[in-house]
Amino acid sequence: LYVKAVFTGFRRGKRNQHENTALLKLDGVNARRETNFYLGKRCAYVYKAKNKTLVPGQKRLNRVRILWGKVTRAHGKSGAVRAKFRRNLPPKALGRRIRVMLYPSRI
Amino acid sequence: MSTPSAKTATSGGKSTTKTTTTVVKTTTTTVTKKQPQQLSLTPRSVSSKTKRPKTRPNGKKAISSHTNRELNAGGLMRFSRGRMFQRRALHRINKWKGAQAKLQGDKTKKTAGSIQKKKQRKPASVKKPVGGERNGKQRTVLAKRFPRYYPTEERPKKFSAKRKTFGSHARRFRSTLAPGTVVILLAGKHAGKRAVVVKHLASGLLLITGPHKLNGVPLRRINQIYVIGTSTKLDLSTAKFDNLDDKYFKRVRPAKKNAEKDIFDSKKEV
Repeated sequence: LYVKAVFTGFRRGKRNQHENTALLKLDGVNARRETNFYLGKRCAYVYKAKNKTLVPGQKRLNRVRILWGKVTRAHGKSGAVRAKFRRNLPPKALGRRIRVMLYPSRI
Repeated sequence: MSTPSAKTATSGGKSTTKTTTTVVKTTTTTVTKKQPQQLSLTPRSVSSKTKRPKTRPNGKKAISSHTNRELNAGGLMRFSRGRMFQRRALHRINKWKGAQAKLQGDKTKKTAGSIQKKKQRKPASVKKPVGGERNGKQRTVLAKRFPRYYPTEERPKKFSAKRKTFGSHARRFRSTLAPGTVVILLAGKHAGKRAVVVKHLASGLLLITGPHKLNGVPLRRINQIYVIGTSTKLDLSTAKFDNLDDKYFKRVRPAKKNAEKDIFDSKKEV
């Protein structure tokens, strides 16, 4: 139960980038007006690693790992969105899928 | 002849309209008091569109110059403190009230707004009789003695009773999540399933149920933020759920074993 999004890059000017804020392009969201629903929603960057670790809620060790964050504000006119993650996203994630969950819900 | 202008029909938000008089040659413009256009994004837009009643419950007319307004939910008020003082004309009102009080012969009151009457002051010093021949029979003694002890440090302050503990905070529930609403679960084991809101609990959580037989969602507590309210509502007014509260869901710890038991017994149990 999530909305698909793509990590398009870090917040940046032409020559400087600030890795603490990520830019996300949400699927189907093309106007700034439409981003209002997503503000505050939790996002997850899901990836796999070599070593297995414990995942909360599951008993078996898992290769899946998650970086959590949240959508903070809109970015630009065309439905892009800024998000801040608890730890900065790795550049490896550029162009990769990010899940924007539907909670915390306000409706 | 006067006709309302077409402009007012389409204006949004609060507007007090005055009718225009169409003269043959020129048309006078309407004087409409419009609120500044509120963004649809801010939650305040909902409340600003409801009309305030013209007369207050106590029968007095509501005067708009007495109220202050917040600009666009930014915490900025339309009128400053000094300006509001002028608009409310408190300086005149208080003066009038004082004059009224004086007319009624109440000379102890400076203004009608004084909360308590001035108490009859006790004399500061009292003359007390004193024994002994050559002691002058009387002594002037202070009626109220000075304290015997002045602490050098302030006492450590405890939290004032006004501070509310978290347990006594008011819990608010979204209007879309009234009991009986069908709701979509967003997270947890039952994410994606629809359930029914049974009750609002005192802790701020919602009590929901599948019902269990339909989709396997048990009687469960869930936070409002993990739930989307749909427009489908069921009528639960006839059913009672009095025994279902937060205590019902409290975790039950295994009872402690008696200390009086023999040590060997307890070892066997282990």
